[in-house]
Amino acid sequence: MGPKSVTEKLLGILALGAMLVGSYIGLAVVPADAAQGNVQRLMYVHVPAAWLAFLAFFVVFVMSVLYLIQRDERWDNVAAASAEIGVVFTVVTLLLGMMWGKPTWGVFWTWDPRLTTTAILLAIYVGYGALRSFADDAEKRARWSAIVGVIGFANVPIVYMSVTWWRTLHQPPSSPRSVAPDILWTLMLNLAAFTLVYAYLMVRRIRLAKLEGELEKRMAYNA
Amino acid sequence: MELEGLSKRFGWNWALRDASVRVEAGTTLCLVGPNGAGKTTLLKLVATLLRPSGGDAFVMGHSLSKDPDEIRQRTGFMTVRGFLYDDLSAAENLHFTMRMGGLKPRREVVGRVLERIGLDDVADNRMRTFSTGMRKRLALGQLLVRPIEVALLDEPYSGLDSQGMQLVDEVVSEFKAAGTTVLLASHQDGEAVREAEQTGILRKGRLEILPDSEPLSRHLSVGGPAGAPEVV
Amino acid sequence: MSVLHRAWAIVWKDLLIEARTKQSFNAMVFFAALVLFIFSFALGPDTELLQRVAGGLLWVGIAFTGLLSLSRTYQNEETSGGLEGLRAYPGDPRAIYLGKLLGNIVLLLLVEAVLIPAAGILFQANLWPHAWGLALVSVLGTIGFSLVGTFYSALTVNLRAREVMLPLLLFPALVPVLLGAVNATTLILEGDLMGEAIVWLRVLGAFDIIFFVICIWIFPIALEE
Repeated sequence: MGPKSVTEKLLGILALGAMLVGSYIGLAVVPADAAQGNVQRLMYVHVPAAWLAFLAFFVVFVMSVLYLIQRDERWDNVAAASAEIGVVFTVVTLLLGMMWGKPTWGVFWTWDPRLTTTAILLAIYVGYGALRSFADDAEKRARWSAIVGVIGFANVPIVYMSVTWWRTLHQPPSSPRSVAPDILWTLMLNLAAFTLVYAYLMVRRIRLAKLEGELEKRMAYNA
Repeated sequence: MELEGLSKRFGWNWALRDASVRVEAGTTLCLVGPNGAGKTTLLKLVATLLRPSGGDAFVMGHSLSKDPDEIRQRTGFMTVRGFLYDDLSAAENLHFTMRMGGLKPRREVVGRVLERIGLDDVADNRMRTFSTGMRKRLALGQLLVRPIEVALLDEPYSGLDSQGMQLVDEVVSEFKAAGTTVLLASHQDGEAVREAEQTGILRKGRLEILPDSEPLSRHLSVGGPAGAPEVV
Repeated sequence: MSVLHRAWAIVWKDLLIEARTKQSFNAMVFFAALVLFIFSFALGPDTELLQRVAGGLLWVGIAFTGLLSLSRTYQNEETSGGLEGLRAYPGDPRAIYLGKLLGNIVLLLLVEAVLIPAAGILFQANLWPHAWGLALVSVLGTIGFSLVGTFYSALTVNLRAREVMLPLLLFPALVPVLLGAVNATTLILEGDLMGEAIVWLRVLGAFDIIFFVICIWIFPIALEE
């Protein structure tokens, strides 16, 4: 796959370390939530995953806009990498949300704004990915993806607002005031850990994309 | 018109590679070559329907990649199938062409063109009822309702009877007389092909301008419109 | 402004062809009627239930019908050389988007003019007192649907798996429109005692404006080859 840079290796180690620490603290050290019991610990994974799912898509959006303005394929590489990683986090978010929902609310699925918006985000990601697989050449692929990225992202806030007006069952967004300090603290830690994982995966994926791009170009010019 | 290293790639396949040629205003460049060699791709590039993957072209001083709209304003493209709507009449199709070209559709102009291409008696019939030859004539007619400086003709002879072919030849000479540059791609032999000032042969995406001395018949299929054999 | 002239030329052309062949219109009405009928059967004779969900069912019908018409928007162009032909003409390519958009809106509204009364009859909901409200929702929702639909149709027109990609791309984009339209319709049919429908109408309006700007701005990029 080509030589890994020092930064990449360092990032990887850092990410792994943070994850281990965060998980340990989240699962073993911090006391369970008074009301919800141990299930609440899922939150330490669910919330960061959700945060990253949306962050990743925000990155896709920014890269899409940059691509449309500058037509530099590097932006497309970043966007594609972020989308791939984003899908994973989105699925994780949804699954954990469901796992949390069952014991807490009694149902696997509710139509509450955040869960619904996340599901729609998944649909957008899938559309994005499917579109990429259908484009036969790099430029078209980048261009179409960028368009869908922009429109998809523009949609997310509107979807969120619409669904919020429609239903509210999800826990009201926990503001730091109402959450016990060690829980908050642990959450932040795990958030940071996940973000590091994202960064690490991005760096690797982008490198892979660059190599793929080189390969494509060589095959084209030799044809 | 000047093509400089014009290239177009679809995925990994180079449909056109490094095409360079200079065509003086009012002259004709004829393109010959086997199927899939890139003739249509070249024409589409000049028509600004495709963006070049490499190189550039200048039409009337305007760059393909920078001012495609200026080029479209002055170019007429006669495609193989013709860009025509089955459920509109011949006259209505021409009206549409005029409007899309930014002109106010004028009945006299449409009438005159229909007469020139021999379709005035079926002017109000729906295209659905037309034969291939009639459709081709109408496609040619689309180039006549707008003032153009560059005419692109993709296989203009295909599907036409000898009268139709004669019409094409006449129109091409009229274009020349008016100073319109003509780019013509053809499998078949015809007067316009032979009268072309320059001939280029396209093979696997590469364009080679033939010197005057080379006999053209080597590269063309002889014979009429119906099922002519393919080019060497 | 020549963009408007050319857009108008396209609208005129499409509606003229449609008026002559009635291809799309008939298919759409038939299909939508079928959908409504099936819902009626599924929900059975419970009139109260039908009346409560009438808004939602109506928009399901409209959405599927709209999807059908979108697939045909550019198919019409296909037999005549495809979108390519339109692109070969000079002028701002946005005229193509505008023209197709208007054509789609008009066609869908015409179908709804038949569909909504039909739904009223099938679901035994009295629509007359709410006619203005319903018309407004109808128009705003149709515009929203067509805005994104027309755009994505152009994007997917040359794709191999167009029939799958179009709904896939469209679905997330249409969530606000459908939510807004269904809720507004339902509230209006129920008499809307608390004036909540206006909120949804605002959502629809905002969506329409935002996406009109975005789509028309990006359209030329979607059309490049």
